[in-house]
Amino acid sequence: MSSNNKPVLLYGGILLIGIFLPLALPAFQTQISVMWMMVTFALTWDILGGRMGYNSFGNIVFFGVGMYASASMQHELYFDIGQFEVISDQFNLQLTPEKYLFGLGLGMIVGAVICVALAWVLGSGILSLRGHYFAICTLGLGVAVGELAGTIDYIGAGSGMAAPVFPLAMGSAGLFYSYFFFILVVVTFFSLKWLYSTRFGLAINAIRDDEDKAEAMGLHTTRYKTLAWCVSAFFLSFAGAGFGHLNGFIDPLDVAFPGATFGVWMVLMAILGGKGTLWGPVVGALAFHITQEFFWSTLLGWQRVALGLMIVIVVVFFPLGIMGWAREKWPERFGHILEEESS
Amino acid sequence: MSKNSKFLSVLACGAVVTGLATTGPAEAKVEGDTITLGSAVSITGRYAVNGKHTKNGYDLGVKFINDKGGITVGGKKYKLAIQYYDDESTAARGTQLAERLIQQDQIKFILGPYSSGMTKAIAPVVEKYGVPMVEGNGASRSIFNQGFRYTFAVLSTSEQYLSTAIDLAAEQAKKDGKDPSSLKIALGVRNEPFALDIGAGIHDDAKRHGMEIIIDEKFPKEVSDMTSFLTKIKALKPDVVVVSAHTVGGALFVRQMTEQKANAPIVAMTHCESAKIEDSTVFGSAGEDILCAGQWAPELTYRDDYFGSAMDYTKTFEKVYGYVPPYQAAESTASVLVYADAIARAGSFDTAKVRDALAATDMQTFYGNVKFAPTGQNIAKPMVLRQLQNGKYKLVAPSRWADTPLSFPRMAQ
Repeated sequence: MSSNNKPVLLYGGILLIGIFLPLALPAFQTQISVMWMMVTFALTWDILGGRMGYNSFGNIVFFGVGMYASASMQHELYFDIGQFEVISDQFNLQLTPEKYLFGLGLGMIVGAVICVALAWVLGSGILSLRGHYFAICTLGLGVAVGELAGTIDYIGAGSGMAAPVFPLAMGSAGLFYSYFFFILVVVTFFSLKWLYSTRFGLAINAIRDDEDKAEAMGLHTTRYKTLAWCVSAFFLSFAGAGFGHLNGFIDPLDVAFPGATFGVWMVLMAILGGKGTLWGPVVGALAFHITQEFFWSTLLGWQRVALGLMIVIVVVFFPLGIMGWAREKWPERFGHILEEESS
Repeated sequence: MSKNSKFLSVLACGAVVTGLATTGPAEAKVEGDTITLGSAVSITGRYAVNGKHTKNGYDLGVKFINDKGGITVGGKKYKLAIQYYDDESTAARGTQLAERLIQQDQIKFILGPYSSGMTKAIAPVVEKYGVPMVEGNGASRSIFNQGFRYTFAVLSTSEQYLSTAIDLAAEQAKKDGKDPSSLKIALGVRNEPFALDIGAGIHDDAKRHGMEIIIDEKFPKEVSDMTSFLTKIKALKPDVVVVSAHTVGGALFVRQMTEQKANAPIVAMTHCESAKIEDSTVFGSAGEDILCAGQWAPELTYRDDYFGSAMDYTKTFEKVYGYVPPYQAAESTASVLVYADAIARAGSFDTAKVRDALAATDMQTFYGNVKFAPTGQNIAKPMVLRQLQNGKYKLVAPSRWADTPLSFPRMAQ
């Protein structure tokens, strides 16, 4: 630490971006919300994928469960589900701000509790698998939960369900959710920064580096692994709840459990930025989201091809990700003082 | 950490700023003499085929309106243009693109996406901004029972799609001296809003005739095998088989039904045209005698000033795009015509005025009569039922246009 004001400058800069970007670009509020959500995705995936060496493709489960739990809570509190079937000109889902916020908050808490419990139960079972077996099992889990959600009539089954409309009195939904997701990113980031500095962080790193040795040293590895997944699930459930409400319409496969898009992107973004680093997922998610939005508006029909090419280039030329590459290139900037130590 | 931080902050801020700057500034979308409509359609993904029909339909409508001089608003002639985005056939993307069209591109007139699911996702967005949407490809009943005021559909809603097939079955039973309530129905629908509604409609029809639904199956969205459904059909021998599984599922059903030698006296489905079941190089005679639900058929006698009759439209479309227009294309073109008519009648680009003009629409297009219910769906146009006979679609219902008797019972192919 050469001086203490540098991190303050960085955090201050990001805080300013978080506060003023949605105000400066009101037309981009939805994209900004999704951008912060992507950062949350990458950060939460990195807990297992980067820090613990367990590649999970099933984290999307917690996103969707959080989404359905919070939206169902709103419906449970304020609506008669039967009303959806009534053809009427008057029916709409407008709520007062107090009701909306209370329902949203309660829904998020319920969603988080359900997700953490689910992660604990699932984790205790499948986190005893290692390597590829774990990855494949989680991949199956993501697909299965999506299909399962498509059969539950209570949440609209394959027809999907509508989240309550954002109350007019509260102004712009885009602004509200860009702040919501920004706060979520900040809380997630600092919680993880703190967690990684504790014994818990060292323990999951030890699991990544050599699980058998870690166990021989007396670490209760399964407990740590499950706990790590619960942390992931906790933050993801909030992201899901927010996105469900922002999007307004929840479809089981496209919106709640989109394993092939969000589910894969969270892996991709963390790897793109540099997995196992604190800032890697953040940088990777920002780079990925912005590039993707750019391709979308400029390359009609070819956006995926362009994105694919970009990923290939990154994997071939920057196999350690953006942060990993930067660390190799400028090790002194990352606190690796090579010459001084050896001399 | 500290140097690292500074470096990072530059990196992150730079990325954010450049990224957002390149997306371009927002601009008003009635510029000079051009009115830009906006649409997020499926150019890639599972709806790519019908997304293309939708886009072609829109483009043809715009071309014909522009060739005729455009629309007159306030004494001035305006041309039409469309700004497209690719929703990749996912609802999450569709809502974001609708936001982008309205917020960033400043487009105030939205044309619908392809499929009920996507329309259902976008409808709340246009409602939020008070921007009208005219759509021709979202037929699910659930779009029209939420009190949306800005969504207008030129099509008949999905529960009507295969009702006529059940009525035909009942008629045939009476002719054969059987009680219609003795008929048994097998129902297979894809697990998504549109097909589920068709299923709900069939349940209502069955109840009305006192028929029994003995097989009621839901296919996953990405269905790749229908063996279990077909095995049940072979075992239980229903009198009517009704399937709605979209384009890919429809093609799969026709192919596997023939391979596994399953059959029923009446087989009715949706999406025949987009699945191209009439194409004998792919399906042989597997599609013979299948009843196909359609919003529209070239044989109908509707007409308008832009395209002439339904048959004229078909010929024009075929000349431009090289294939016979399925109803998905026709209803998309009709959406553009309805929009143009409403903007001209409103005499203004004010979204609320155009919305009111849309609500008051009462016109005939080559696609059919258009008059909207207060909830937004078209109530002036019936569904049609065609049967594939000797490789050609023949109109068998409604009786007003039907030129061919029903071929009954269906022979195993």
